[in-house]
This record gives sequence, structure tokens and C-alpha cells, in this order.
Amino acid sequence: MGYDMELTALILLPFFGGIAALFAGRFGRDAERWVSIAALALALVILILAFLTPGDGRWIAFERFDWAPSLGMQVILAMDGLSGALLVVSLALGIVSVIVSWKITEHSGLLNAALLWTVAASNGVFLSFDLLVFAFFWELMLVPAFLLISVWGHGDREAAALKFLVFNAVAGLGLLAAVFYLGASGEVVTFDAFEVAERDIPHGVQVLLLLGFAAAFLVKLPVPPLHAWLPDAHTQAPTAGSILLAGLLLKTGAYGLFRFPPMLFPEGFATLAPWGMVLGAFGSIYGALLACGQTDAKRLVAYTSVAHMSIVLMGICGGVYFSLMGAGVEMVAHAFSASALFLLIGALYDRTGTRDLRELGGLQQSAPRFAAAFAVFFSAALAMPGTANFLGEALVITGMFQVNWIFASITLISLVVSVVYATRLFKRVVFGKARRSGVVEDLTAREMGPIVLLAIATLLFGMLPQLLMGALEGAVTAALAPVAGP
Amino acid sequence: MPSFPALLPLLFLGFGAVAAMLAAPRLPRLSRVLAALALMAAAATLAARLWAPAGQSALLSDDGLARSAGMMVCLAALGSLAFLRPGGPSKEGPALILLASLGGLMLAGATHAASLFLGLELVTLALVALFVLPLTRAALEAGYKFLILGAAGAATLLMGLALAHAASGTADLQAFAGRGMMLGLATALLMAGLCFKLALVPFHMWTPDAFDGAPRAAAAFAGAASKIAVVAALVRLHTLAPPEVWAIGLGLAGGASILLGNLVALRQDGIGRMLGYSSVAHAGYVASTLASGAPMAAEAALFYIAVYAPALLAALCVTAALGPEARIADLRGLVWRRPLAGGAMALALISLAGLPVSAGFFGKYIVFTALIEGGAWTLLAMAIAGSALGAYYYLRFVALIFRRAPDPAAPFLPAADRLLLLLASAATAVLGLRPDLLLDPLRRLLP
Repeated sequence: MGYDMELTALILLPFFGGIAALFAGRFGRDAERWVSIAALALALVILILAFLTPGDGRWIAFERFDWAPSLGMQVILAMDGLSGALLVVSLALGIVSVIVSWKITEHSGLLNAALLWTVAASNGVFLSFDLLVFAFFWELMLVPAFLLISVWGHGDREAAALKFLVFNAVAGLGLLAAVFYLGASGEVVTFDAFEVAERDIPHGVQVLLLLGFAAAFLVKLPVPPLHAWLPDAHTQAPTAGSILLAGLLLKTGAYGLFRFPPMLFPEGFATLAPWGMVLGAFGSIYGALLACGQTDAKRLVAYTSVAHMSIVLMGICGGVYFSLMGAGVEMVAHAFSASALFLLIGALYDRTGTRDLRELGGLQQSAPRFAAAFAVFFSAALAMPGTANFLGEALVITGMFQVNWIFASITLISLVVSVVYATRLFKRVVFGKARRSGVVEDLTAREMGPIVLLAIATLLFGMLPQLLMGALEGAVTAALAPVAGP
Repeated sequence: MPSFPALLPLLFLGFGAVAAMLAAPRLPRLSRVLAALALMAAAATLAARLWAPAGQSALLSDDGLARSAGMMVCLAALGSLAFLRPGGPSKEGPALILLASLGGLMLAGATHAASLFLGLELVTLALVALFVLPLTRAALEAGYKFLILGAAGAATLLMGLALAHAASGTADLQAFAGRGMMLGLATALLMAGLCFKLALVPFHMWTPDAFDGAPRAAAAFAGAASKIAVVAALVRLHTLAPPEVWAIGLGLAGGASILLGNLVALRQDGIGRMLGYSSVAHAGYVASTLASGAPMAAEAALFYIAVYAPALLAALCVTAALGPEARIADLRGLVWRRPLAGGAMALALISLAGLPVSAGFFGKYIVFTALIEGGAWTLLAMAIAGSALGAYYYLRFVALIFRRAPDPAAPFLPAADRLLLLLASAATAVLGLRPDLLLDPLRRLLP
């Protein structure tokens, strides 16, 4: 294998694409949008090519070179099926978010740059196995996402953006401190996760360090009671921002939990996992119940994210094959379905100027395509068989029954509640009389493109589970037992 | 014997100060140019001799620490020079900045009680003049506080030096290397004197006034260049002094500064006052690093203050452009009115908050790592709490910079300010991507 740079390119392309987009507006109308799409599409092609070239078993692609050797900082990028799937999600949602914000003309150069930088930073999170570089990208994600909410958001956007940033930056300090400790405590300063994984860390220290990691991951996930930033951030963000928040940023939290605690702190993780399951069980019910009580459609979907990500947390902490596999599938599935719902609600808001469930209605008469799209993603939200979400949640529950029947039953209850909020939302928006919203123009071709893409992804992975499950196999097995470096 | 090239930077600054002073009454512009040239020449000579073999005289040491810190002092002083307006009240400003830089260079190389005291006083007195020159009420207040506290600091320092001399019979700073009751007391007093210049609690009272009402050039120099010089002096001393006195004294002052600086900064709406209190907190991080006793403490402290300086200079420059007593509301939508000023301010604040991509992220890395390496867990907890508070108040200001409410009034930025903002932002961004560019040389240059 030669000196491959494909994984590096997956981070750098969106990053430099963002810089290009910042200035592209001067060279023609919509130039910044086309530049952004081109950068993301090119990255997607590189990613697909990487999938097609044979890897070395555990990793599809692996890169390692020095960044700042005196700080012990290396670039160690490794992609397995889990990272790969999440990278597909990230690039696809990046393209979707650029298309969705096509009509926003205000400071559109910076808007597209912020979208691309969010994608670049989360790609870095999904690929990095040098913990310092991981922490670098982890913190980097916050800044462009903050801009997205704060500049192009709705309502009280500055407060929501600040809340998002402060919650995550403060929680990130736990991760930073733990990572710095790991770097400094070895014989040589290194942040190489594979080397750190082989260290014999005392149990008490493991628990402490894991708490530091978990602080960052659980806030990003988010799981109650650490979720206070999420409803505001999702609601006030522009549609593209909500898509990236729900589809991408929440997944970085889940990914971090999936990848690092079992790998670095196996014993500490075993100690804390039951508490994680308790949090997850609580969150799945809490999020679902609160979703039932919302009148703002966007807020409702935001709370469903809390519920679904809590189920992911439970699956990860369950630690058995099925629960881990289910968590992985659910991460990908939720990325598609939640961002599609945000897209639809955003489109509806653009047309009617309201997201209030009491004022919406009658979509099935005036806008059949709209109604059909809602139908697909509502069934995903309530985990209807046939959608990837069903697969994920069914696997988590199956796995949880092997661990503890109480947690499994709580997840089942949360699923029942999800039927309530999903049907309520569906009934209010799609059926009934058009209340204040009046006749709604149907989805345009530009809106249909992303929707069809997301629907295909949701249904494809639901109907052909082996596609996604095969890809996740390696990561799941690794989370069961500590990994050895290649 | 000190070689002639080793003295060149001092000569450049000394003669430059004389020349700038002579040019000041008739040709204020020329005076600024001369000062800039002298600083650049001094920085260039130091840079050229960075790797030359070390030399030593009775008063000054000419080693990697003195050269690297001296170079950073000169660069930060160049940044402060940009704050002087050509038509402003302080025609003597350039000459005073040169004198203060000369003091800074002496401080960075001082190995003897006399040179240490001389350097410190040169910085203080030149800055006092720079503070009061506009002769406004606010300037006089800031200058007065600086003078009184500075005099108290100098007296404490002198007492410490005298005690050390009495205990060891030598005025060489090596005298502090011994042990005993008297030397411990001497070290504590010496430390207190230096803490004043770093604005550590409880010697911080001059800082908020200095950053708010006073001439910005003086604030910029006191906040960036002079702190680099004092950190260099502390780095030199911290290998000599008894570690326990050092750890307790600097640890207490550092921890208190982190907490108090951040807590008070949290409640400030004036940008200058916020920066002032936050500078107390940042000095606290540096002091706790030195208190930790970690082997990497020296390079960590210098690295931190070096990445802090450009961020502070950029933030102060934008604050100055927004007018006297600028408040948080004045930042509203700045990036849309003046992309350069808004962008530079946002980057500077992000760096102060320690988020990537900015040098501040690695500053935080190095400070936390030094505290971990030294096993200073209480200080680490304080530093984490301080960073958490900092994240909130810095980002509050960043949020406003990007607010979508364009205000037609755009602040005026002279060419010198634009250049300063560009260079400071470039330094912050580049070190945010390649921290080793600064850290590697520091590591090899420090003893």
C-alpha cells in the first residue's frame, strides 16, 4: 500500500471547500453552493473508492503520520464499517444541508463554509484515533455549529446558540482533561489510542477518566438530565443547522461512547455501564413523554431525538452483541430519519410560517408528496418494521433482554410512547382540515431530491439489514473485546 | 565576557529610545518609524543569534531563554506600538515603549539582583509615563494605581533581594538556591514583587483600570510584552528557589487569580474590564504551571504567555477601535460591518477561551498537561473550573460579533491596526494548527 491520503482528504476537502465557499460568492450567483456541493461530492467519491479498495481486515483504510511530534500528536486515521457508515451519513447530510439552505441569501458564503466545517470536524471525530487530535476535532465542531444557530437561526437564536456552545464546551473540558492525563501519564507522551488501550490503568483511575470522557459524550448525545441545550438549539437553528445537529453532532457523542470507553477503559466501563443503562432507560421514557406534550413540531422532533439517542446509549452500555449492533444501526437510521423530519418541518415552516401543531393540518389534500414523505419518516420515527429504525431498536431490545429484562421492558414502553407522539404529529399535520396554514404548495423538485435520498437510505437499510450490519460487524466485535492496533 | 553582538539588541533599543525621543517633538511620525525599526532590529538580532552558544556576564545572561523571551518581548512591543495614534497626546510614546522593552530584555536576561531590579523598574517607570500621558482623569487614575502598586511591588522585591544578600553574602540570583528560613522569606518577597507585574491576586488591582480607561498602548504593553519578560524572569528563578516556597506562594496566587479573575470577568459588560480580569486569570494559569514543579513547567509557562499575547493584542486593538469604554453591545454585528476586525476579535476570543483552531487550544493543552505532570490536582481542578467559566464569558462576546443586526457605524481602523490584526490572527491561527513551530524551539532553548 502506498502513501494513502484518502482519509485525510475526507477531512481536508470539506475544510478547504468551506474556505473556498467563503469567497466563491464573488465569482457568480450560487457559486458558493456549487463549490460546497462539489467538495462534498468529491469527498463522497473518495469515500466510496476507499470502500472498494481492499483493506487489511479490521480497517478499511488506515493512515498515520506526524502532526506535532513534540506534543506527542500524530494523525492516526482509521476507518472501519462504523466510521465509514457515519462518514457516508456526514457527507450525505452535508450535501442535503447545502441544498436545503439554497434560498438563504444572507451571508451565504459564511453559511456554506460553516456547514462544510461542521462536516469536516465531525469527519475528523469519526476517523481520529489519536486522542489529542480527536479532542481537537471534537472542540472544533462546536464553533461552526454555533455560528449556524446564532446567525441564521430563528427566534431567540443567540441565547440558544450560546447555551449549546457553553454546555458542550464545558463538558468537553472533561474529555480534554482525561485525554491530557492519558497523554502525560505514559512513559513517552503519546495520544495513540491503540497504545493507550494496551496500558494497565488502575481501576479507580479508569473510572475517573471514563467520567471525563462520558461528560463530553453524554452532553453531546444528549441524555437527560444533560440535554437542556438540545430543544432550544434544534428549534432555533435553521433547517440545515437542525439537520446537522440531529444527524451529525448527536452521532459524534454516540460514536465516541461506542468506540472509546470499551477500548480504553474496559474495566471502568464495566463498572459504569449499569449507570449508563439507567440513564438511557430514564432518557428514553422522559424524551418520549416530553415529545408527546409539545405543540411546536420541531421541538417535538428534538425530544424524540433525546429518546432515540437514549436507546442508543442503553444499547452501547448493554455491551452484548445485539445491543451494540442495534445501537450502531440506530445511530445511522436516526441520522437519516431525524434530519428528514427536520427538513420536512422546515419546508412546511417556510410555506406556512408556523410550526404549531394546532395550526397545521390537511397536507394530504393540498400536498400529497409532502404527506407521503411525512408518512415514510413518521413510520421511521415510530420504528415501523421495514425501516432501519425498526431494525436498530429491535436489536437493542433483543440485546437488552440478554442483559436485564427491566431495561428491555422500559425500552419497549418508550417504543409504545413513540407511537403516540408520531401518530399525533402525523394526524395533526397530514390529516384534518387545514387550519391556519391554508393550502400548502407541494414539495419542489429541489426538496424532493434530498427527501428521496433519505427515504431510500431509511428503507434500504431496513429491508436489507445485512448491508449495514455487515459493515458494523468489525466495530461491534471490537467493542465487545478490547482492540489491538494494526 | 559578553560579546558585542549579544549587546546589540540592548544598544538598538537604547539608542533607538534616544533617537525617538529627539524626533518626537517635531516629527512624531518619524519617531514611530524609528521605534519600529529599533524593535525590528533588536528582534532580528536576537533571532539571528537564537542558536549561538550561550554567554554570561556578571549582570546578564545571554542564553536561549533570554533570547527567545527577548524576541517575543520585542514583537509584542511592536504590537503595542500600533496602538499609538500619530496625532495622539503621547508624542513620547514610541520612546517610552522602547525604554520599557529595554527593561523587558534586561528582565529576561537578569542573573543579578541589580539587573533584575533595574529591568523591572525600567519597565514600570516607562509604563507609568505611558499611562498618564494623555492627562485625562481615567489615565491619571490608572497610572496612579500602577505607580503606587508598582512602588509597593518594587519595595517588596528589594526587601527580598536584601534578605537574600544578607543570608548568602552575594547579590547574584544564585543566592536564592540555598535553603533556610531567611532565604525562604526572601523568595516569598521576591515572588510577590514579580507577581505585581503579572497582575496576580492580590496584586491585580491595577489591571481593570489599565485595560479600560487608560491609553491602550500602555495596557497592551503591560498585558503582553511586560508579562512575557516577567514570566521569563520567573522561569529563570524557578529553578533556583526552594521548590516548596515556590509551590505554595505561586500556587496560592495562581489558583486565587484563576478563580477571582474568571469569576469577576464573568460579570463584566465592558470589553476592556472583561479583558483586564481575564488577564488576571490567564496570569493565574501561567503561575500555577510554574508552581506545579513539572519538568516541562518552564516551556509551558513561556508557551502559554506567548500564545496569550497575540490574542490579547488583537482583542485590545479592536476594543480600542470601538472607542473609549467600549461595551459588549458595541460588538453587535461587528463581523458584518468590519470583517477583519470582527473576524480577528472572534478568533482572539476563541483563542482566549481555548477552542480550536487557535493557539489557545494548545495553550490549554500545555498548561493542563504541566499540572497533570506535576501532580497539582487542586490547581488542575481550578484551571478546569476557570476554563469552564471562561468558555461562557468569552463566547458571550463572540455570539454578539456575529449577530445579524448591522449597525451602519463602522469603526475606523488605521493601516497599522489592520496590520496588527492580520499578523496577530495569523500567529494565532498558525500556532493553532502547528503548535510545535513554537514549542519545539522553546523546548530546545530553555535550560
